Amino acid sequence: MNLKEIKELIELMTEKDISELELERAGVRLRISRVRRAAVEAGVPASVLPAAAPAVAANPAAVAPAPAPAAPPAEPREDLHIVKSPIVGTFYEAPAPGAPQFVKVGDPVQPGKVLCIIEAMKLMNEIESDVAGEILKRFVENAQPVEYGEALFAIRPLKK
Amino acid sequence: MDRELDRLVDLLADHATVVVSGAKAAAEIGVPHSTLHEWIERLRELGVHIDGLPGRGLVLKTVPDILTAGVIRRAARGTQFAAQVHHYYRIGSTMTAAADLAREGAPHGAIVVAEQQTAGRGRLGRSWHSPRAAGIYMSLLLRPLMPAARAPVLTLAAGLAVADAVSDITSRPTDLRWPNDVLLDGRKCCGILPQMTAEAERIRHVILGIGLNVNQESFPPELAGEAVSLAQATGRRLARADVLAAVLRQLDRRYREFAAGDTAALIADFERRSSYARARRVSVETEPRSFTGMSEGLDACGFLLVRRDDTGTVEPVLSGTIRSV
Repeated sequence: MNLKEIKELIELMTEKDISELELERAGVRLRISRVRRAAVEAGVPASVLPAAAPAVAANPAAVAPAPAPAAPPAEPREDLHIVKSPIVGTFYEAPAPGAPQFVKVGDPVQPGKVLCIIEAMKLMNEIESDVAGEILKRFVENAQPVEYGEALFAIRPLKK
Repeated sequence: MDRELDRLVDLLADHATVVVSGAKAAAEIGVPHSTLHEWIERLRELGVHIDGLPGRGLVLKTVPDILTAGVIRRAARGTQFAAQVHHYYRIGSTMTAAADLAREGAPHGAIVVAEQQTAGRGRLGRSWHSPRAAGIYMSLLLRPLMPAARAPVLTLAAGLAVADAVSDITSRPTDLRWPNDVLLDGRKCCGILPQMTAEAERIRHVILGIGLNVNQESFPPELAGEAVSLAQATGRRLARADVLAAVLRQLDRRYREFAAGDTAALIADFERRSSYARARRVSVETEPRSFTGMSEGLDACGFLLVRRDDTGTVEPVLSGTIRSV
């Protein structure tokens, strides 16, 4: 395993939002853990979270235990999933004015379920849920402008 | 089904005005004679004029203006939109069909064209008037490799492409009403609806819906003051295949600029081509509020800047309907 492969793994984890990955190959054991961004936004103080950059540890000796990820949060926290706007635009709660809302607080959602539309210059961006869970909170009013990266919904993920 | 109907139309079109025996047509397409008759009935229902001569065969008196899959493929030749062609005689909405294709993993550049839409869609649940074989109703599946935040400029790029194509074909000046209504004589000849599915860092796909009025001779009263077809503006009917080819050629060019990140150049082109971009008195309707003001160009993202009459401040318009006042 070389540096390039490890870099690719980190990119994959970022892309797929994988928080922790462990693998063993040809006598090398590797564990990468990432900070869950949702946890930061759920109001957990940053100081109790592990470092922001992925912590990488490669051990040439098969027997050596991989270092544990940084200390877990001191207090129990609810692992909320925050859906954020990928673009600057206008928030719509329904496919058309007067039509039923895509989702309401309390609704169960599955991955791929459309939560809202963000419109920028007539580009209609359907925001889908990427987790299964329950809508806990909606942060934006209908027809309001939203910024890039602004929180739209908080979802409580289903326990696996 | 639509694919088989296309084969029959293509076969008859290749032998237009010549009598083709039913037996020969059935053999060439590889179906029983009885099936062939069902297809012919269906095509007649859909408005294709096929004469049947008892005991002798079939004849197309004129080549119908139908965008069969073969015709679309020829029109798209040399562009990135020939990856996968889907043609429907009658469909609810090409947007829905393209969204299904996207979910099934269809490639960048797949194209869906319909002769007629029974539920043509516009912005925010509005409908798009799509009478049979009069306009070009299509959806393109695009898979841009970029963060979602950069995608909205595609709206401007698509507007520029269609405006240039319509000018090429009609030799008439076109105007653009922000963000992408294409105007001929101050009335709208084309509506463009881009729909994106994206995560923060990655666009899964964009479906670019285009409804272009080509040969409509009239519009329903509620649209008459607002809509225009190329035929109305030029006084002659146009071959939709030629219009389609021009549109795809320009879209291919503008999409490449967009994908290469030439945002500033696209915005500058838009400002040059659009009489609405600068020093135009406009009303901005953004549900539930609206205001009036003077346009002051586009910002670096492509949003229209309007100096509001009520506050005197310049505000970027994120979305909404712009009208001249």
